[in-house]
Amino acid sequence: MSQTFDKISSIAFFIIGILFITEATQISDSAYGSTVGPKSFPLGLGIVLILLSLRLFYETWKQAAKSKIVRNTKTSSQTTPIELKKFLILFISAIAYVFFLEIVGYVITTFIFLLIGFQTMERGKILASISISVAFSVGIYYVFSVILGGSLPSFPTF
Amino acid sequence: MTTLQFLADGFAVAFQWQNLLFAFVGVIIGTAVGVLPGIGPMSGVALLIPVTATLTSGLPTEAAAASSIILLAGVYYGAMYGGSTTSILLNTPGESSSVVTTLDGYQMAKQGRAGSALAIAAIGSFCAGIIALLGLVLLAKPLSSIALKFGPAEYFSLMLLGLAAVSGLAGRSITKALIMTVLGLMIGTIGIDAVSGIERFTFGQPTLFSGIEFLTIAVGLFALGEVFKTILEKDNDDGQIAKINRVFPTKQDFKDSMVPIARGSFLGFFIGVLPGAGATLASFFSYITEKKFSKTPEQFGKGHIAGVAGPESANNAASGGAMIPLLTLGIPGSGTTAILMGALIMYNIQPGPLLFDEHPEVAWGLIASMFIGNLMLLILNMPLVRVFAKVIETPKKYLLPIIIAISFFGVYAVQYTTFDLYLLLACGILGYLFAKNDYPVAPLVLALVLGPMIENNMRRALTISNGDFSIFVSKPLSLVFLIVAVSWLLIPIFMKMRGKNVIINEEE
Repeated sequence: MSQTFDKISSIAFFIIGILFITEATQISDSAYGSTVGPKSFPLGLGIVLILLSLRLFYETWKQAAKSKIVRNTKTSSQTTPIELKKFLILFISAIAYVFFLEIVGYVITTFIFLLIGFQTMERGKILASISISVAFSVGIYYVFSVILGGSLPSFPTF
Repeated sequence: MTTLQFLADGFAVAFQWQNLLFAFVGVIIGTAVGVLPGIGPMSGVALLIPVTATLTSGLPTEAAAASSIILLAGVYYGAMYGGSTTSILLNTPGESSSVVTTLDGYQMAKQGRAGSALAIAAIGSFCAGIIALLGLVLLAKPLSSIALKFGPAEYFSLMLLGLAAVSGLAGRSITKALIMTVLGLMIGTIGIDAVSGIERFTFGQPTLFSGIEFLTIAVGLFALGEVFKTILEKDNDDGQIAKINRVFPTKQDFKDSMVPIARGSFLGFFIGVLPGAGATLASFFSYITEKKFSKTPEQFGKGHIAGVAGPESANNAASGGAMIPLLTLGIPGSGTTAILMGALIMYNIQPGPLLFDEHPEVAWGLIASMFIGNLMLLILNMPLVRVFAKVIETPKKYLLPIIIAISFFGVYAVQYTTFDLYLLLACGILGYLFAKNDYPVAPLVLALVLGPMIENNMRRALTISNGDFSIFVSKPLSLVFLIVAVSWLLIPIFMKMRGKNVIINEEE
């Protein structure tokens, strides 16, 4: 399972390395001054990453051949991802949170996000969820924006 | 002894009632800032600059500068301590310098030794603070003259050594660790190049011009990665939430941590003195050193007290040591000291060689207040250990969404862009996948911090040598650093080839 990830990631790193090099070659040279411009360091990094990804691919391939006999017992990640639904709900609501943050303001979005989060993690105790969400969103906003004078999108801009 | 006289004057300044109050408020806020993941010392100090400016507005300029720098420095080392609390209890480093504390601290918490770990961290931080203070008093001048002799080549090699050491330290596969290091360096190149002013890898996006914020990446990979893991892999083992059985460490723990504390303090102090190599590097180095010196290196990563005592002392000592280049040379050694420098300049006080002559009140007052602040931290934190430990007893269903919300808040409060929040979420997923598949995240984060400095020093060195790469091996100190760096990576490989079992730390 993790070997599949290693294979995919070694290919991904290889591609990243190539993209990085192609992008780096397009960086314009500095007008004067040093012989080593803004290009050289990224170029070197891209080359090193490609070499490392090749080595990772080789290692994974070698290990795959080996572990056909001895199964790698260390992969404790074999547990079934039962909580995928919970995670997706939280993740999508987090994206929505970010999207609406500057439109609706910090207090309301944080309150709604936390409420959804609490209820997704465990149904019930709606009153406790609401009070903690309110306390957190209002508390942070008050301490940060009002007392400390920081800046947060406050309330709906419309 | 004029130094002693100046120090006494410094204490006179630090013992003024308002400065005692400022130091107290500073360390309290600092600890809170350190405990909150996402708000590190840097953002904490930055957020408080306007506040201190308001608070000190009635005082004469020099006294105001002294007071506010005392408060801000209090936040700085308070956060150093607070960061260790979350590292130990939640496996979420509050800031980068307590990343290594997670390795053993969290394991200790899992074993029910969280109290010992936290107390040792507090004691270690205190001892380190005092040692750093003594060092600062005695060595400020000679040390700064040595550090002045470091050229860009030496810095470049030293930072490479730091990276090599960390890559050799983390994870099962050195290849994976090196890949993560290179990735971190790559992310560090995004943005406007500091030397030439040319934009790189920004694709014309203004949000990318200033580069990718280290905070976003670190919070995403560590904090959110862990949150996502907990949500996805509903692990029910109750051992994870450890109770604090006793606050005071056992005699054995004391015995095991005295030497690491002393070693970490000295190491951290000297690393902190070098500009560019701050608390993070100090804690990493201390961890490696402790592991090398330990009679039981296989215990590291499984809850060895020395793995907490050493790095925690080192990062506090480093934050003291970092004051030397800031105060004597006017060169900030880290992001936080850079912000402190900005605060001083705001009061029309220029840090640098003349500071000790022109504004002894500020310089020595700060040094003395660091001693008092450390004492306050120790007194506050020993009884408050249990209070902080309550954090972990929060039910997960409340804790997890709140950690997400705090991370969002922390990143947004510093960056003011939703782009960083999307990036944060992406990093969270990557952090989860990386950790699950044995890709160590710590090297990436360190490389991201050191990347721009490595590149700038490399280019500066090459400019000096007219593009001749031999400058890195012709300078003796630089050569030594490079040899150590290479051997750090190669020796484990050779040992593996000879069939020896190499002990490597795991990320969690």
